[in-house]
Amino acid sequence: MNFEAVIGIEIHVEMKTKSKMFSSSPVAFAKEANTLVSPLDIAFPGTMPIVNKQAVINAIRVSNALHMEIDNELHFDRKNYFYSDLPKGFQITQDQRPIGKNGYVDVKLSNGTVKRIEIERLHMEEDTCKQLHMADYTLLDYNRAGTPLIEIVSRPSIRSGEEAMKYVEAIKSIVVFTDVSDGKMEEGSLRCDVNVSIRPYGSDKFGTKVEVKNLNSTANVQRAIDFEVKRQTKLLLSGVKVEQETRRFDEMKRETVLMRKKTDAIDYKYFEEPNIVPIKLSDDFIQNAISTCPELASQKLERYIKVGLTEEEANQMLQNRLMASYFDECLKINPKRAKAYWNWLNGDILAYLNKNEIEITSLKVTPDNLDSLIDMIEKSTLSFNQARNVFEKMTIDNKSASLIADESGLKQNSNEDEIRKIVLQTIEEFPQSVVDYKAGKDRAVGFLVGQIMKKTKGKVNPQITSKLVVEILKTK
Amino acid sequence: MYLGKTIEELHELLVSKKVTPLELTKEAIEALKKDQTNALETLCEKEAIEFASSLIEPEVDNPFWGIPYACKDNFSTKGILTTASSNILKDYVPVFDATVVEKLKAAKAVLICKTTLDELAMGGTGTSGHKGITYNPYDPSKTYKIGGSSCGSASVCAQGIVPFSLGSDTGDSVRKPASYAGLVGVKPTWGRISRFGLFPFAPSLDHVGYFTRSVKDSALVLSLLAGEDLTHDATCSTKPVEDYYSLINGDIKGKKIAYIKEINEGIKDQCIKDKFNECIDILREKGAEVNEVSIDKKILSAIYPSYMVISCAEATSNNANLDGIKFGPRVGEVSTYQEVMINARTKGFGELIKRRFVIGSYSLLSANKEELFIKAQRIRHLIVDKVNEVLKNYDAILAPCSGKVKSPIVNNSDNIFSDIDVDSMIIENHLGIGNFAGLPSISIPVGIDQGMPFDFNLTCKAFDEVNMFNLAYSLEKELNLVNLSTVKKVNE
Repeated sequence: MNFEAVIGIEIHVEMKTKSKMFSSSPVAFAKEANTLVSPLDIAFPGTMPIVNKQAVINAIRVSNALHMEIDNELHFDRKNYFYSDLPKGFQITQDQRPIGKNGYVDVKLSNGTVKRIEIERLHMEEDTCKQLHMADYTLLDYNRAGTPLIEIVSRPSIRSGEEAMKYVEAIKSIVVFTDVSDGKMEEGSLRCDVNVSIRPYGSDKFGTKVEVKNLNSTANVQRAIDFEVKRQTKLLLSGVKVEQETRRFDEMKRETVLMRKKTDAIDYKYFEEPNIVPIKLSDDFIQNAISTCPELASQKLERYIKVGLTEEEANQMLQNRLMASYFDECLKINPKRAKAYWNWLNGDILAYLNKNEIEITSLKVTPDNLDSLIDMIEKSTLSFNQARNVFEKMTIDNKSASLIADESGLKQNSNEDEIRKIVLQTIEEFPQSVVDYKAGKDRAVGFLVGQIMKKTKGKVNPQITSKLVVEILKTK
Repeated sequence: MYLGKTIEELHELLVSKKVTPLELTKEAIEALKKDQTNALETLCEKEAIEFASSLIEPEVDNPFWGIPYACKDNFSTKGILTTASSNILKDYVPVFDATVVEKLKAAKAVLICKTTLDELAMGGTGTSGHKGITYNPYDPSKTYKIGGSSCGSASVCAQGIVPFSLGSDTGDSVRKPASYAGLVGVKPTWGRISRFGLFPFAPSLDHVGYFTRSVKDSALVLSLLAGEDLTHDATCSTKPVEDYYSLINGDIKGKKIAYIKEINEGIKDQCIKDKFNECIDILREKGAEVNEVSIDKKILSAIYPSYMVISCAEATSNNANLDGIKFGPRVGEVSTYQEVMINARTKGFGELIKRRFVIGSYSLLSANKEELFIKAQRIRHLIVDKVNEVLKNYDAILAPCSGKVKSPIVNNSDNIFSDIDVDSMIIENHLGIGNFAGLPSISIPVGIDQGMPFDFNLTCKAFDEVNMFNLAYSLEKELNLVNLSTVKKVNE
């Protein structure tokens, strides 16, 4: 019997807003425990939630990128349950009216086909505090409590590990490029829970679903699903029922392992948050959030191809949002140099960043300076090799390319009159070369140019030099 | 010798330097130390004397300068124990002031004490706080209740120790005890006063309220406490605050007042009946139109059960933070977080609270939600629509606060399962309409029967506090019951 996988994914995205979802304490990571807390975050009696406007703007932007219907009124609900990491004893979320619903995202699969993955809802909520389980006690860090979250729930329209991976990559790209989140799975700022079940092909019923947690990379999303589909298929083929349970992905073993059997689902006793009266979102507000949204990767891709990159090159540039925005700055200076910028960014600049383990935002070479460097190459003021030397100095000093070239005497001499003098002088020094040239030995040109380069330490323009050598030899 | 004076009177004395804030404070503290009603949670002696000592130069235009006041113990007070009269918070010292406390501090009013309440403001009898029963100062025999949940604040104001005190009103927790204690009790429109720092019982019904001993004083207090609180309470209105005191002119000519037939059918005491007719006559004499209107008894009798469902449902959620991890006692040897929570909540909450949590939780379970919680919400809307319909044609609804002048203290304070007749259930719970609809509502003393005072209530249109004070003032003036207190009673 052949089975097909039915996969649904819930993604939690931590927003990098300045302050928390409902309080004014700052959002930041890796700070000393319990230093980013206000009375509301620890649920002091009498504190009340104030909705973070930027979080709403972010949610609108991501909803729009996912082609969702955006609610024109904000409603929040309480999800009630007791847990040690839940300060208030309830989480403020959007149960009845998520800000976004009924969307989709298209993903391109490795076989070239495009798959549309449907998304049921997007809503805002708040994060819990962080627990550190020690041997016989648990520590609580409330820094994370109240961090704004976006939860994106797909419909069960995903059919394979690859589709799932591409879907998570697409969501990640959207939240990263809209500047909503770091989207770092390995650090937990993008977390995903995957529901996997299988059923015979052609069936319209759902099988028993298994939830898989602890997926810290998109590659692991694919691995976990592939493993889980195999596991469930094996069970069913050997006549064993799939049990409803929660499993986690073990990275070392590359397989899913049982965390807990699903007992009765918790009754969350939802009701509308009485301390937030419904907030009307005007069309202007929504439109403004959308029109001021940073450009998505998919939009950049189109633009990059238009200025002359191949799709592959463009995609490579979009692997890193900061790199892409540096590239955008360059394109603003001279879009005709797209390829040259790309070459530098993916060549010497990337190598430099990797070597020094820094992001491009720490690079001292500004787009303007990079452009001036390329300009000097194009105008033959610098040879490519000289340019690389200049670049190296630019990473230390943040001076303009021409200044550095001047200072280090690297500038290439392209003045024909000056070069002509050197050429004449060199030909005089090597009369044999004239004889050779007349005898039809073109090698003589190369020899002379080489001598001139040696003499000038490579500071004369080789093309002009070569042209003048031929010109003068002909007159001899 | 300054006990039993109103804010207005004390202000005069302070401004003319006949008395200092420190003298007023010391006198109030001495009186509190002799309190026989068990109204006190925490006496803020040191803080009050220190603050009062710093008040030297009177502020002529600030009626609150140097005025002592009391605060119900469910308002957050920075650095001062705040227990909500519950064992689960018996050691809780907040790190911030409630907005109203902050405003009073800025106006240089002197906080003298934190007062008792029914545990976590749930209950209407003044008997369920962790310190036991709070008594009615008008009844030295300690037989009749003062009501609740703002029992302590009602008592100290009725004893004339402070001219005003803060309370909170979720069902009638200010306006009902105001009646038993012969005070003016106010709960303005929902959103008129910031609730930041008020411990939530049921936020959709919760109001900051207060007691005074004159309508004019109550207008002064509202002008100070009202107003937006953008960074702390998103439900708080941004409507401008009016000068309620100056807008009182006693002219009620052409005003239309309704009373509801089905509520008044629950009146048990003849003196209340008589007083009601007298009040109608007074209002008519002053040029107001007074008419009887009718609301289906079925709807009115649903106020109490739907109030219980909604308030308990919200309460179980609001108090889920009191879980023994951040707040509440860590009891015994425990190994799991569940044990921490169960132990703390078992030891920390009184029986009545637990019962209400169970009711609230039960009505929110998905199996029961439609039948209980959603239905209660529908009834609430129905009642709100009915009342607003009446208020479309009338400026106010006049009603007795209770069917009886006095009501005995019973040990088991929650009468959820006791069988009372429908008429009594309606008249004893109708003040909840003001909470359901968030309408401004004031109780004012209208009579004294065998030494026990009683109030009537006026409920008006949303944000029509100006009208509310003006109507209340007109009645107060004619009835000549301004500034009742046990001090005065003794003096007379």
